[in-house]
Amino acid sequence: MNQSPNIACPECGQLHHYRPIAPGQTAFCTFCGETLYRNRTHMIDAVMALTLAGLILFVMTNLFPLLGLRAQGQEQEMHLFGASMTFWNQEYRILAVLIVLNIIVFPLFELLALLVVTLTIRNHWESSFAIFLYRWMREIKPWGMLEIFMLGVLVAVVKLGDVATLIIGTSLWSFAGLIVTMTAASSILDPFTVWRELDKTHKVKPHE
Amino acid sequence: MSNASELHTAHDAGLVQCQVCGNLSKAPAHLSKYDVMSCPRCGARIKRREQNNSVEVTWALLIASTILYIPANMLPVMSVYMLGKGQPDTIISGVLHLLEAGQWPLALIVFVASVFVPLLKLFSIAFLLISIQRKSRWRPHDRMRLYKITEYVGRWSMVDIFVIAILTGLVQFGNLARIEANAGAFSFAGVVVLTMFAARMLDEHLIWDISRKEEPAA
Repeated sequence: MNQSPNIACPECGQLHHYRPIAPGQTAFCTFCGETLYRNRTHMIDAVMALTLAGLILFVMTNLFPLLGLRAQGQEQEMHLFGASMTFWNQEYRILAVLIVLNIIVFPLFELLALLVVTLTIRNHWESSFAIFLYRWMREIKPWGMLEIFMLGVLVAVVKLGDVATLIIGTSLWSFAGLIVTMTAASSILDPFTVWRELDKTHKVKPHE
Repeated sequence: MSNASELHTAHDAGLVQCQVCGNLSKAPAHLSKYDVMSCPRCGARIKRREQNNSVEVTWALLIASTILYIPANMLPVMSVYMLGKGQPDTIISGVLHLLEAGQWPLALIVFVASVFVPLLKLFSIAFLLISIQRKSRWRPHDRMRLYKITEYVGRWSMVDIFVIAILTGLVQFGNLARIEANAGAFSFAGVVVLTMFAARMLDEHLIWDISRKEEPAA
């Protein structure tokens, strides 16, 4: 017990000692009840599988048209990227950039970062790069907005439904799958465990 | 765990915690005002209580987004051109059109995401800031929950921007039917982004710090 406390609750700063817990269990903060860490079996493998599936779905989503509209013999198709291009064409450039970041760049960054992180942990690679990626992935997380875009698609579909004939594109299905895999991956992954594992193979430790 | 109860928080034990990765490191004995500390594990900048300006920065962002909130609601967000005739729509009139068309579940979604949530964010962040500045000890658990909800729910306001992006992208049939985005959409996106930054900048630990500080002494 003379070991110094080595975990502080991320919410309230309450200090705790790290104790290994049985698989399937969760450790909570004694003061505010926030989750401290969880023990999940096959966590890294599951996240890696979901990330690889997510990357495939991401490519599919961006290759095929998302929605189409048919009216008076004319047809209009839209890809995921095209949704932001309309703002660009109407001189709302910053808005267009924001949308590209929200629905393409940040989700892709998250997928690639997860892949590097899980590979690093599995193969015990030196973790500086994975730490860098995971840190920024956590910072950027709220700005990836795939699921919100999906809600936007649903609202738009209902709005247009009685005006014109809608064509549901192939990529709408892979898009739905992408949201499911990414949500599953981030809910399975326990940040505390990831940081702990990454720290084990971190070469640079100035504060020892 | 008995001796841990002597030291309540990381701050009491002379440790600083990285906000990003949760790593604990020893606080330097002396840190002058403009010194920057970074986390030894992940390299993120560590904010120290002594030099914390989160309340001021959050106020600034909050005031900016409140000002932007006015054009976001007064100006049209998009215009629908049918056979050459244009009809501009603000956020509110868009909701009303949906109601007239009898699509009330959709009207509800748009109303909650675009009107209710931004207002909720503006008020709850202002409330949290005032409670921190007045060193309130009132219900820290509930205020923490309010902060969490505010932080989580804010992103969903972007849904209206995405709807406009999809509609303008799809409905481009020249003179027959055409949808254009307007300046209101731009200010509305500004409100969403600024309130997201405001929620991120607000150091929620301040809610606990004040309510905890007096407890052991009493």
